[in-house]
Amino acid sequence: MLDLTAGWSISFAGCGFLGVYHIGVASCLLERAPHLVRGATRVYGASAGALTASVLTSHACLEKCCQDVMEVAKQARKRSLGPLHPTFNLVKILRSGLERDLPGDAHLRASGKLCVSLTRVSNGENMLVSDFTSKEELIQALICSCFIPVYCGLIPPSFRGVRYVDGGISDNLPQSELKNTITISPFSGESDICPRDNSSSFHELRLTNTSIQVNWGNAFRLSQALFPPEPKVLAEMCQSGYKDAYRFLKDNNLLRTECPTADLALKRDKPTCCCSGVKNSAIMESTQDWVLRICLLKEHHWWLDEQLVNNLPTSLKKVFCEACREKHALLSQITGLLPVRVASYVLLPCTLPMESAYSAVQRFVEWMPEVSADVRWLFEVAGSVYRYAWKGVSPHPRSGISMRRCISEPPTLDLQLPVMERKRPLPFSATDLRGYGWDSAGSSHESLGLRTFSPSLKHVCFITGSPNDYES
Amino acid sequence: MVEEAALTQLGVAHRVLVFLRFPSLFYSFFKFLDTTVRSWWLTSWLPSWCPTSQCKLKEAEERILQPIRSKFSKQFVHISNDNKLWTLVFSGSGERRTPLVLLHGFGGGVGLWALNLDVLSHQRPVYAFDLLGFGQSSRACFSTDAKEAEMQFVESIEEWRSKLGLESMVMLGHNLGGYLAAAYSLKYPSRVKHMILVEPWGLPERPAPGDQDRPIPVWIKALGALLSPFNPLAGLRLAGPLGPVLVQTLRPDFKKKFATIFNDDTVTEYIYHLNVQSPSGETAFKNMTIPYGWARRPMLRRIGLIHSDIPITVIYGSRSSIDGHSGNSVKEIRPNSCVEIITIRGAGHYVYADQPEDFNHRVLQILKTVS
Repeated sequence: MLDLTAGWSISFAGCGFLGVYHIGVASCLLERAPHLVRGATRVYGASAGALTASVLTSHACLEKCCQDVMEVAKQARKRSLGPLHPTFNLVKILRSGLERDLPGDAHLRASGKLCVSLTRVSNGENMLVSDFTSKEELIQALICSCFIPVYCGLIPPSFRGVRYVDGGISDNLPQSELKNTITISPFSGESDICPRDNSSSFHELRLTNTSIQVNWGNAFRLSQALFPPEPKVLAEMCQSGYKDAYRFLKDNNLLRTECPTADLALKRDKPTCCCSGVKNSAIMESTQDWVLRICLLKEHHWWLDEQLVNNLPTSLKKVFCEACREKHALLSQITGLLPVRVASYVLLPCTLPMESAYSAVQRFVEWMPEVSADVRWLFEVAGSVYRYAWKGVSPHPRSGISMRRCISEPPTLDLQLPVMERKRPLPFSATDLRGYGWDSAGSSHESLGLRTFSPSLKHVCFITGSPNDYES
Repeated sequence: MVEEAALTQLGVAHRVLVFLRFPSLFYSFFKFLDTTVRSWWLTSWLPSWCPTSQCKLKEAEERILQPIRSKFSKQFVHISNDNKLWTLVFSGSGERRTPLVLLHGFGGGVGLWALNLDVLSHQRPVYAFDLLGFGQSSRACFSTDAKEAEMQFVESIEEWRSKLGLESMVMLGHNLGGYLAAAYSLKYPSRVKHMILVEPWGLPERPAPGDQDRPIPVWIKALGALLSPFNPLAGLRLAGPLGPVLVQTLRPDFKKKFATIFNDDTVTEYIYHLNVQSPSGETAFKNMTIPYGWARRPMLRRIGLIHSDIPITVIYGSRSSIDGHSGNSVKEIRPNSCVEIITIRGAGHYVYADQPEDFNHRVLQILKTVS
């Protein structure tokens, strides 16, 4: 049972396009237990989880974000190579989406509450960032947290002058060791809110803190994390998030008490139509749509099985409904036909160079303002590699050791101190973890004879001061 | 057979494969290869493929038991068929009280109780042993029949008990150990004073395939059918010299769980040596399951038959992927006996290592009720 008296936090796992699961979870939390979100001391997130966490903490519109996710998935599926096609620019789409949908004072609302997990490029260490001076800075942190190297681009983005990549590489589920962290992950395994698969296999693996049960359902999900499935599957995943969150709330007696009648079963019977406007527009429906509808068994809701979304809030239902309808529109039906698809693959050797060249030019133009900084960084990297190769002196502890340190050690407890009164016991089972953490941190570096930062609190946990502290 | 049982729920692709006797052909081919290779000169070479031995397991276990402060003795308890069970005995205090017997889970061993043995042995004798076919105990030959294999386990526990001369015991079983504790109490109810099931495996029936949220794609089903003849941990043995690194990469959480007493790879090494040796208990376990991981003979069907005087406590971890609802089913099935369900916040499947303090505290509380 979750003990709410000692304070609690929420942690969203990074998961690529499965982030739509988090949207389902968030919608359930906002609808059924808003106090849980409002009262949380911190909301952690890595990668796609950080996006959801930012939406929750900045009170942005969940429906719009869901729309964005569906839009990104649509963009990623559009080309023959999927998200690997050179014209698909995830960073650009994300940035414009965040700029559009996060409220102007998002950084004020999120500061101190939202914790974004980042991986520092220079040494692979994990960073949790929680204060943002402007909306742009918040967006930049989120972009850094979502930047999967190679998949998103080659030059990692910088945040306050330091280069970072996807937080999931070093810690995909921040603070999951704490008893009072509600962990949310779209992979079935040992998280508080996660899907339950029809498998009682207890083989499990941990990818940077995220527990993933070894079963076929998860294999399937992993394959979809970076290559988005069709809108229908995304809708189903979102609903699964809603249901799992609901189950968690129910098991822990956290459902809001003022509406005791709110029950999944009751809600299912309620005739909430996700597309109220559809009936009116039916007259204006084009003939193409009509032909299709006749082809597709004349079902009322033929583009999307109602069963898949019936638990979701109406606003989200609409989003999925539209996304699926779009997919069944005539144009996409034609491009989806086998001969057309085969043709597009056959023509790939001709079209790809053209499109690549075009997108390369486009990217270069967009890159222009940052060229000098990026080139300087590349030179620095080259220089340090050179020094390392010739003199065997590394300016930073290399990633191998530090990575393991992040993965295997307990997090710094000091995160909790500003938010919790010191006299309260920390929600840790093993109270002497902290001493251990510092001991080994010191020894591992000393034994290697590397010049490192002193293991000061400020350095490892948060960026609290000015960026200059970290550049020095 | 495994193939026939699996047939009922799988689709056309699998049916075709089975019709062509593909899985069994594949399996027999593998067996043939295995036996031929072993009968050749390679026999002497093969064990060195995996960097393990009985000796290394012993060393790893000694290291993991090092931090324990209470006095204890280690011994082999000899039972029938030349089998022996590796046993730790903590008999320092409260000798008159009913002893607590710890049964580890699948792929486990006595060393995994390292965070609990000290506290639990304060008030009463504690016995922990490696189950037949696991850890340092004999890697016996089990029957391929699920019922007989289960009986072999149960009889080994009974022989172990009578050899040590224990009148009655409190049984605490984790995972497979929980299942066996229940099976033992069915057969020898007079020997069990209290039963504590920690994250027990094998309680519920396998849900009907229709309950699944999403149909599994064909390629996944085909792959599953292909892999079904193998032991659950065959991959680890196949990895050979890479095995220890594999355990460290895939399960960094074990190191974290035991971080209070070790800051090196002691635990992952111990787990590696436990699981990579000849798979006897593992094979028996595999024969007791149907895909994927469900019990062939679910305990919920029979748990009502356990003597109603035996109180049952079920302990779950709040984050575990094992469904906690079967605890409630036990309660419903046994309305006239004492059934308590405890959920430990922030713990996964390895409750006793994830939140050792909470776990020990709760178990001691339960034990207060037992003389």
